[in-house]
Amino acid sequence: MSGRRIVITSGKGGVGKTTTTANLGAALAKRGKRVILIDADIGLRNLDLVLGLEKRIVFDLVEVAEGRCQLRQALIKDKRFDSLSILPAAQTREKDAITEEQFSAIVARAAEQSDYVLIDCPAGIEAGFRNAIAGAAEAIVVTTPEVSAIRDADRVVGKLNDRGKPIRLIVNRLRSEMVRSGDMLSVDDVCEILAIELVGVVPDDEEIIDTTNRGEPVVLDETSRLRAIYDKIARRLEGEIVPFTSFENQGFFGRLIDAMKAG
Amino acid sequence: MHELKATRDEKAPGAAAAAAKLGRAIVITSGKGGVGKTTTTANLGTALAQRGARVVLVDADIGLRNLDIVLGLESRVKHHLLDVLDETVSLDDALVPDKHSETLSLLPAAQAREKEEVDTEKMRALIQSLRERFDYVLIDCPAGIELGFKNAVAGADEAIVVCTPEVSAVRDVDRVVGLLGNRFKPQLIINRLRPQLVKKGKMLSVDDVNAILRLPLLGVIADEPEIIVTTNRGEPLALRKDAPTGAAYHAIAARVAGEDVPAPMPHLKETFLERLGSIFGGKRP
Repeated sequence: MSGRRIVITSGKGGVGKTTTTANLGAALAKRGKRVILIDADIGLRNLDLVLGLEKRIVFDLVEVAEGRCQLRQALIKDKRFDSLSILPAAQTREKDAITEEQFSAIVARAAEQSDYVLIDCPAGIEAGFRNAIAGAAEAIVVTTPEVSAIRDADRVVGKLNDRGKPIRLIVNRLRSEMVRSGDMLSVDDVCEILAIELVGVVPDDEEIIDTTNRGEPVVLDETSRLRAIYDKIARRLEGEIVPFTSFENQGFFGRLIDAMKAG
Repeated sequence: MHELKATRDEKAPGAAAAAAKLGRAIVITSGKGGVGKTTTTANLGTALAQRGARVVLVDADIGLRNLDIVLGLESRVKHHLLDVLDETVSLDDALVPDKHSETLSLLPAAQAREKEEVDTEKMRALIQSLRERFDYVLIDCPAGIELGFKNAVAGADEAIVVCTPEVSAVRDVDRVVGLLGNRFKPQLIINRLRPQLVKKGKMLSVDDVNAILRLPLLGVIADEPEIIVTTNRGEPLALRKDAPTGAAYHAIAARVAGEDVPAPMPHLKETFLERLGSIFGGKRP
């Protein structure tokens, strides 16, 4: 049986597509799934950096498309998870170096040897976006609770709807204290505007900046609260019904109260 | 200090353009998305306009426009860039006057159209005609390095690159600087710096970033929650010269205008515990 083919997209850049792809992939691999991550951001690849695999790249997506190497030769096995590998993008080529048909064929081949293929989509809605969504059967839209990101996400949801792909939503970088003070849109606000199924809410955590720079997915950090959050998203993708954590109590004092209760 | 001055004196395009009574066309770009191109465009444009310059902001992100939201002008948009390029409306009909700054206008992007519809030569001609009417034409570039990027840089003669202190952003900016080549004399704004994280060794410092990029630094902007708030409200922080971030944008505007002021740099705020420590005379960590 062929694996699921899911594109991670957003419209707006910098909302956390690559970080989500890496961490969701790692969370699924940790659950024993065979996962292949494909970096579709030709010319501006970053997924290799986020996983700390940049020095191990030999071949890339475009070379596979051009038939210069086999898919298995280009796949880089993750340092930490045996069942996780990435197909890196080409860095010095352009997005039109590959066609939608070529991309779809590679995704289909990757799906034959895995349970999940996660495709890290480039920002925007140009050729790179069309390639990335061409091979996917499902989509996860990542947005931050900002007006501009939601407007872009809405535009992408429209484009995905046209192609009849099921769409799920991850709200990223939520700052609960700002929601409470009325300075940030709430998860409910975002869901109401976009009207797609919510699979995850990830709080804004400065730890992500550090782990990303070091090339260590945050799901590996035993002490991180984000670890449990990505694991829940992975379980929801698997079809489990997992209740959402309330972030209403997660401010400094909220955490203090939780910690005192736990103690 | 002498070195700083030397780099600024080299900035001939500004002086040459002034002599020919042509405004400067500056593209704000980054490669990576979400590093603050649109916020930078809105704030730098506002700060330049508050100095009395005639400024037009061009949103080149066709299909994913946002500059109108950041300026709070979204309900005043009637026509857009592609209408002007298609010659279905005049430039005057498409320009949206800003609410806050008298000498600032916005040329919005089309939302329901595609980047592929832009004719690069027409775009270049439009920017040229804007330079005849304005002192500054700031072009808000879309993310990526596809057609939208190429059209956004087509009419520009200078570039400001925006980078956050993250490995991925630095890599993308480095790629964009390579693509731009020497013609645009790119200058750097480092955005979203958290001095506290830099101090803890958990974020790249200004020196780390510029050791890789090696670009003239216009200034550094701190990561402040108020940026999100003012962006959602459509009121650029540069309207508040008294706020640290507002003042930083004004300093950057002064440097862009050729004034010899130091590059703004966010300073480290004492944390609660450090303040307690200093109050009680304890040693600082």
